[in-house]
Amino acid sequence: MVDELPEIFKSQLSEDILFNVKTDLDTQGMLAAQWLAITHGDVTLWQEKAEPIKRIGIEEIKEARAVSNIGSGMLVVETTTNGPIVIARYTSTLSTAMSFAAKLITALAQGEQLPVATKGDIPRYCSTCHSPMKEGTKTCEFCLSKKYAALRMLGYLKPYKFKGILALGLLILSTIVELIPPFLTKIIVDDVLQPQQPGTLFVIIIAAWALTLLVMSSMQALRGYIGVAISSKLMGDIRKDVYQSLMKLSLAYFDRRQTSQFISRVNSDAESMRQFMTDGVIYIAGHLLRFLFILVIIFSMNWKLTLLALVPIPLLVFLSISIWPKVGRRLYQQWRAIFRLNMQVGDTLQGIRVIKAFGQEKSELVRYNNANEEVVHHDMRSEKMWQLFFPAFGLLTSLGAVLIWYLGGYQVLSNELQLGVLLAFVAYLGMLFGPIQWLSQMISWTSRAMTASHRIFEIMDTPADVADHPDAVKVPNIKGDVVLQQVTYGYEKHYPVLKDINLEVKAGEMIGLVGHSGAGKSTFINLLCRFYDVDEGVITIDGVPIRDIEQTELRRQIGVVLQETFLFDGTIAENIAYSKPDATPEDIMRAAKIANAHDFIVRLPDGYDTRVGERGHKLSGGEKQRVAIARAIIHDPKILILDEATASVDTETERQIQEALANLVKGRTTFAIAHRLSTLRNADRLVVLDRGKMVELGTHEELLEKEDGVYRKLVDAQMEMSKIKGVGS
Amino acid sequence: MSAEDIRMLSSEELYVYRGEGGVLQGIVDGKTYHELLIFLTFPMRYTSEYVSIRTKDGNELGIVRSLAGLDRDSAAVLKEEIELRYFLPRVTKIESIKQRSDLWFWELQTHLGSIRIIMRNLHDHIQFPGGDRILLSDLDGRRCDIVNWRQLDAHSQRLLRDIL
Repeated sequence: MVDELPEIFKSQLSEDILFNVKTDLDTQGMLAAQWLAITHGDVTLWQEKAEPIKRIGIEEIKEARAVSNIGSGMLVVETTTNGPIVIARYTSTLSTAMSFAAKLITALAQGEQLPVATKGDIPRYCSTCHSPMKEGTKTCEFCLSKKYAALRMLGYLKPYKFKGILALGLLILSTIVELIPPFLTKIIVDDVLQPQQPGTLFVIIIAAWALTLLVMSSMQALRGYIGVAISSKLMGDIRKDVYQSLMKLSLAYFDRRQTSQFISRVNSDAESMRQFMTDGVIYIAGHLLRFLFILVIIFSMNWKLTLLALVPIPLLVFLSISIWPKVGRRLYQQWRAIFRLNMQVGDTLQGIRVIKAFGQEKSELVRYNNANEEVVHHDMRSEKMWQLFFPAFGLLTSLGAVLIWYLGGYQVLSNELQLGVLLAFVAYLGMLFGPIQWLSQMISWTSRAMTASHRIFEIMDTPADVADHPDAVKVPNIKGDVVLQQVTYGYEKHYPVLKDINLEVKAGEMIGLVGHSGAGKSTFINLLCRFYDVDEGVITIDGVPIRDIEQTELRRQIGVVLQETFLFDGTIAENIAYSKPDATPEDIMRAAKIANAHDFIVRLPDGYDTRVGERGHKLSGGEKQRVAIARAIIHDPKILILDEATASVDTETERQIQEALANLVKGRTTFAIAHRLSTLRNADRLVVLDRGKMVELGTHEELLEKEDGVYRKLVDAQMEMSKIKGVGS
Repeated sequence: MSAEDIRMLSSEELYVYRGEGGVLQGIVDGKTYHELLIFLTFPMRYTSEYVSIRTKDGNELGIVRSLAGLDRDSAAVLKEEIELRYFLPRVTKIESIKQRSDLWFWELQTHLGSIRIIMRNLHDHIQFPGGDRILLSDLDGRRCDIVNWRQLDAHSQRLLRDIL
């Protein structure tokens, strides 16, 4: 649903509407709705009344821009006579639409070709919940007919339905068998233990009793066996799904989150779900069945007493229903407290060097203790609730039993009821209400599972920001021509880090990216790899927009050597052959040789089989770098991306790395973030970025000639630095 | 690279006003600017102190230590501009907090009017900056401020207590 301009406003316009949007703030910044409409002739704004509150002719406008504020924004037009004018204000929900409005107004004012609104530019709202809908989605992500979490969870049981049915059948049988002993009690007391009865019946009954117990135990064992088989596989299925969803998510998702939190999600949340589905479902089904069977039996034995026994039931149901939502919320609170604690541990351990270096162990301990206390507090809160809940349940049910004993006993005394019936009745009642924990246990398991499933489904349901186009193509043999056209991108919505970048790179060319930190160099590279999608403009490789290329295919053509070299847990050989697992030992050695890594690797006691990564051999920064270069070489990409290490290495190592890099870039289109002048000299052209804009482009020499150029200043500053270093050393 | 010092602006050096078009304009150091931008340097801790005054292109002209130190007109205009630029409605009442499928819907009354914000979960969207303050943020990056939850009405407090 798109917000249509109300008829009362539409009728005032003499021309066709090019674009209209309903804003959510008024010009004073209060939350209120206003309508903005853009036609060929003017820009008009209404609020409630028919009379427009603003109308500016396009001929008065020089340009328009959407200014992003914090959580909000404003549409400003630059007029020829009155300077800048704020046309409308809005919350950040409408930033995309307003950016488009600004582009449209500017194009109209400057007589340029009008931009075409993409789906993402037009805010669409869900017809049921009125939440804005995301680009490319047909259904509202909020109202998306998400299967009720429990049903969806149970969906995991599907592959095991036969085993499940078998388990259920056993459950029903064992439940029935379980109910036999009290009935036998009744027979023994009323019919067998009579003076004139022969002993044979007594023996038969006792034997039947023993047999019942045997059958019951073996059925329970069998059921347990099936249960374990299902549950272990189920747990594996859930973990696999979560992990798969995590791998599918784009980098942007992880940028905003601490990674250690996922460890607990993959494991403990999956465990809670499993517990519910196997133990929980059987437990609940078993007890429900038992409840129903017992009810039928005791009802047939004595309906009056049964009604009496059921007196506490409505109260129990009422108690459970009223406590249910509270339990869920408290459990979520508890989960959040543990989540925060886990995050803190993750944080601390990752930064352990910094903590030690600054001697902040004590303050970290304090931070931990605070979070820990919170967990304790929440633990106690939810446990306390149970401690109140159990006795209350117990009391209610015992009251029922007291009533039965009183009235039933009375009836036995007055010979209206047989003693055996009363005994059986009380035994059944004990089975009915005795382990009343089952109700609370059920609430606890179910709530825990719901809490966990919400967290897990949240991961699974998060749409990947960078998704493959349905008609994505493969590009088996590319040349390596790269073109960026009017590329704009911001990590935060509408805070562009790269603005309007235009660049044509020929196959085999080496481009150096230069600029202060924060200028947008890394973003540039991230966009090339399509870790993120551009907000505006297009990037093409050999003329094909990278959005239309399958991601795995794209990454196969792009090789990356990053500043932070990450080696996986495994051997050096495995790390080098990461992207090409079928590489032969010769391939691996050849790559290492080109990367100047062969010699140092061979000198290691375990050679190429040396384990590296978290638990393995510690390689030096320079060595890791060269292994990473070898990894890129074996990948044999047509496009190469280098984010040069800033870590200081000695001159010999630096020479070796430089040499390795020089070998690597041959014949490949290369984009290098360069920090050292030596690398810059090798580049065919340099792109100088400043605050997200491309300010200079040319060879090292050309750029040096610009007296006041940004590059010149950077070089001068670096020279200055090396002089200082020289004096210092 | 030369390390420039932070420049603090005194009331004599700065005069700001709102232009006819609603844009913040002003005179800094005797020079007139047709458009000025302001940035709170500590938006959480200080909402009327340490205000960075910048040109349209984002170059810093200087920092105002406190609005209280400026002339009354400039201070009023700056205060207004801060409110406009930092969209942070202060919650006066919580109408309801509902969980539907796996989203949390908050209906709030704020000093700027009523607003509905949507969160995917509570653990990523609620912050506790300290004291009794609570910051809520929604899926679009909009934020609402509960300055002191203990000072809200009983109904709102009950809703918060239920989930926090």
